[in-house]
Amino acid sequence: MATLVQVENLRKEFGNVRALDDVSFRVNAGEWIAIMGPSGSGKTTLINILGGLDTPTAGQAIVDGTDVARLDEAGLTRFRAEKIGFIFQQFHLVPYLTAVENVMLAQYFHSTTDEKEAQQALERVGLGDRIEHLPTQLSGGEQQRVAVARALINHPKLILADEPTGNLDEANEEIVLSLLRELHTEGHTILMVTHAPSIGRLADRRIEFAHGHLVHAAASLKPELA
Amino acid sequence: MFWRLVFQLLRGSRGRLAVAILAIVSGAAVISALLNLDLGVQNKLTQEFRTLGANIVISPANGTPAQISGAEVPSLMPQRDVLAALQQLPSAQVSAAAPYLYVVARAQNIPVVVAGTWLDQAQKLDATWKLEGNWVASREDDSHCLVGRNVARRLHLALGNPLELHYLDRSAQCSVAGIMDAGGAEDNQIVASLRTVQSLANLPGQIGVAQLSVTGTTQVIADYAARLTSALPQYQVRPIRQVAEAEGALLGRIRLLIVSMVLLILILTALCVLGTMAALAMERRKDVGLMKSLGGSISRIVGIFLAEVGVLGAAGGLLGTILGAALSYWMGLRVFGTAIAPRWEVFPVTVALMILVTLAGALPLRMLGNVKPAEILRGA
Repeated sequence: MATLVQVENLRKEFGNVRALDDVSFRVNAGEWIAIMGPSGSGKTTLINILGGLDTPTAGQAIVDGTDVARLDEAGLTRFRAEKIGFIFQQFHLVPYLTAVENVMLAQYFHSTTDEKEAQQALERVGLGDRIEHLPTQLSGGEQQRVAVARALINHPKLILADEPTGNLDEANEEIVLSLLRELHTEGHTILMVTHAPSIGRLADRRIEFAHGHLVHAAASLKPELA
Repeated sequence: MFWRLVFQLLRGSRGRLAVAILAIVSGAAVISALLNLDLGVQNKLTQEFRTLGANIVISPANGTPAQISGAEVPSLMPQRDVLAALQQLPSAQVSAAAPYLYVVARAQNIPVVVAGTWLDQAQKLDATWKLEGNWVASREDDSHCLVGRNVARRLHLALGNPLELHYLDRSAQCSVAGIMDAGGAEDNQIVASLRTVQSLANLPGQIGVAQLSVTGTTQVIADYAARLTSALPQYQVRPIRQVAEAEGALLGRIRLLIVSMVLLILILTALCVLGTMAALAMERRKDVGLMKSLGGSISRIVGIFLAEVGVLGAAGGLLGTILGAALSYWMGLRVFGTAIAPRWEVFPVTVALMILVTLAGALPLRMLGNVKPAEILRGA
């Protein structure tokens, strides 16, 4: 299977703090990877670098053939629009835009908007009856499903999910995880940060961090993969 | 999607933007009113100045004095020469004109200056006179005259009293139609019909001076005087500088005042918008961080916010301009007694000024360019 993500000797420093230190790993296209570790271990920093939201201090972070470290501001902007779909723990929807407009916002920055396609994306995540609702009129789980629809709308090469169920109750957690399972089944590549071992076990592989170092890269304990 | 985003932004931030739009509407209203006043005040002031009297005087050039029955009097002009010259020039600019012949006659054996003129023009040329009684409506009316208040007091004259004037061996009669209080030399004069005084002085068709009230700016008046000079080279034509220059100086000062106030209001409006936008920029850092993470370039994101500000400026400017037109209409009525009609050119100028000043006030939005999405989204 082709390599989609290649991280080589990646280092990120914030002043004297080394958030990532000599990190190397690869992710094949279509894999679902769980990135685990305690708080402050560098998980979110890694996601931010792979998503083009931050730049490394040293090393390479190649996504779909593009070395993120070498991109300028304009290049990073195009990279984010065309190759990455973000799902954040805190949903991050624009509060004065409706559900469908939040999805269309990603289309707008990518190329052109298609309201019908945005509506279909919301229907797919079970929000066909919430299209015109503002984020404040949606539950946490519904907001996260809007974020999933937004992440998928431009058919990104890589979905980066930072604690996607961290702010959800069990019922909504299950809905969002089933959506991620669906995406994985369809062949999407997912890198998901999580604290929860039970969620980490759903992934194909787990990559564990501690103090900025990659300490363990193993196959999931999923029965079918174990 | 662009405009959809812009209007959703406006709707979403309406509370915060209310202060800015209030400032823009108020600023636009005052600017529009001032600009309407600036354009309208010229005509109004000219009308006001016309009430101060004539602003062009035609008189004989310095030369040999005339002789009347052996007595020496100042140089005179044939009335027909002056009237012929006036007929050659556009009459629309002349709001009033009258020839004058002055003689020192005797009434009740007391010497008194008698001015012969077209009595129907006296009211237009000397609108500031306070008159007890009636103006004389026709220049052909030789039976009535106006008497200055000092003359009336000295001669114990009342309205309707007969008055007999003597000059050398000639005499004329009229009855007092009005007693005038001019606050000047006219209070010591009698104003009778031109024909009466010409007959009294035995100078038919002769006048000593002609006065005109010409409507327009100082330049218009000077131009008119120059054309009269060409038509009457043998006489002296001069604008009365006191009135013309006072008008010009006042217009200049009013314009300076208006321009200064417009600038001040623009600065204040920009500062108010600046304050609102600085607060809004802080509020929107998270949205900008998110938009950047979705692949939005900073130029595209700031473009949305600038369009929002532009719409705000245009809408506020338009509303304010309409209010300003009403304000100038009301101010015209209060200050000049007649309404100042709104000028169409004020609308685009005011709206454009408000858009520009609002965009200038949106300077804090530039700081959004420095937003680091990773920091913003982590800290949110």
